[in-house]
Amino acid sequence: MNPLELLPEKIAELVHELSVLPYNDMHAEGPVTSPTVLTNYVVWGIVALVTVMVMFIVVANREKKQMRLAAESGDVTALAPAGRFVGMIEAGVEFIRDMAIDVIGAKEGPKYVPLLGTFFFFILVSNVYGLLPAGKSIGGAIGGTVALALVSWLAFVWVGFSKNGAYGYLKSLIPEGVRQMPPAGRIVLGGFIFLLEFISYFLVRPLTLAVRLFANLYAGHIILGVFSAFVALFIGTGVGGIAVSGISLVFLVLMYAFEVFVAFIQAYVFTILTAVYIQSSVHAAEH
Amino acid sequence: MDGSIVEALAGLAGLSAIGKGLAYGLAAIGPGIGIGIVGGKALEAMARQPEMAGRIQSTMFIAIAFTEALALLGFVLTFLI
Repeated sequence: MNPLELLPEKIAELVHELSVLPYNDMHAEGPVTSPTVLTNYVVWGIVALVTVMVMFIVVANREKKQMRLAAESGDVTALAPAGRFVGMIEAGVEFIRDMAIDVIGAKEGPKYVPLLGTFFFFILVSNVYGLLPAGKSIGGAIGGTVALALVSWLAFVWVGFSKNGAYGYLKSLIPEGVRQMPPAGRIVLGGFIFLLEFISYFLVRPLTLAVRLFANLYAGHIILGVFSAFVALFIGTGVGGIAVSGISLVFLVLMYAFEVFVAFIQAYVFTILTAVYIQSSVHAAEH
Repeated sequence: MDGSIVEALAGLAGLSAIGKGLAYGLAAIGPGIGIGIVGGKALEAMARQPEMAGRIQSTMFIAIAFTEALALLGFVLTFLI
């Protein structure tokens, strides 16, 4: 029997597996649409959130203890990172802080490190959970990424309005040169640019943030699933089948390594874009 | 006559599947070329000035994100057809 005939069935099973289901019933009829049902993605999102919280509370407590000891004994060497885990978290936080200062500016940047750090570590840990067998990443469901994008959207719109005032922020959507034109050009061209920029700022930005994260992770999970299905379907079909199965297994391992890279890069892209959007809101009056 | 209407509808369902594939495929051409140019130019700049590699890399990711937005709009359109 031709194993490719079974492939559509396996792919349908895979898509069902990746859809939003009740967390305790993987064989439910179809995707959940009710907001009151606890779904697998919500459960894994909470697991990721708790992991990040525990990681940071443990590290912060150790650092506080070290600072107290160093202050009591006057020995500066007691401030060195205690062990690999603390060193890793410190390096991660430093990475986010340097990025915030680089993008937003030395004066305003450090204020947004908590928000950006939360985005980065939560998305990264959640993506890594998504690569575990039966694990789910918050980025694998469009609802999860829309929620993250909404938080980012609220942050940069709020910063824009509170730093520049409503008039100053909306005025900054029109370039300086157009604002100094004669009235006819100012109204026609300015109005047109305002419309375009308004759509780009307030609609396209959150939409692309959400869809980018979702599309990258969902596509990655589907690819891993299809290669796994190849390995399983071809294994029992003679010498040629075993060869196809082996090649698929090699590709599966390579793609898995690539997905680990994607998990990091998508968390980084989401964070740096949020930083760029906040920067454009903070310095709206200058352009 | 009923049979021919059913057949015509079945054909239309198939065409919409082709349309979905085409929508995303065509939407990905431009951004594909664009991201290639962005990445290549960033590589040139980094080779020319390795000490600026960090700044160039973060600017490159921002440029890629804006280019990629077009492909993502095509991806959304695929679900809307």
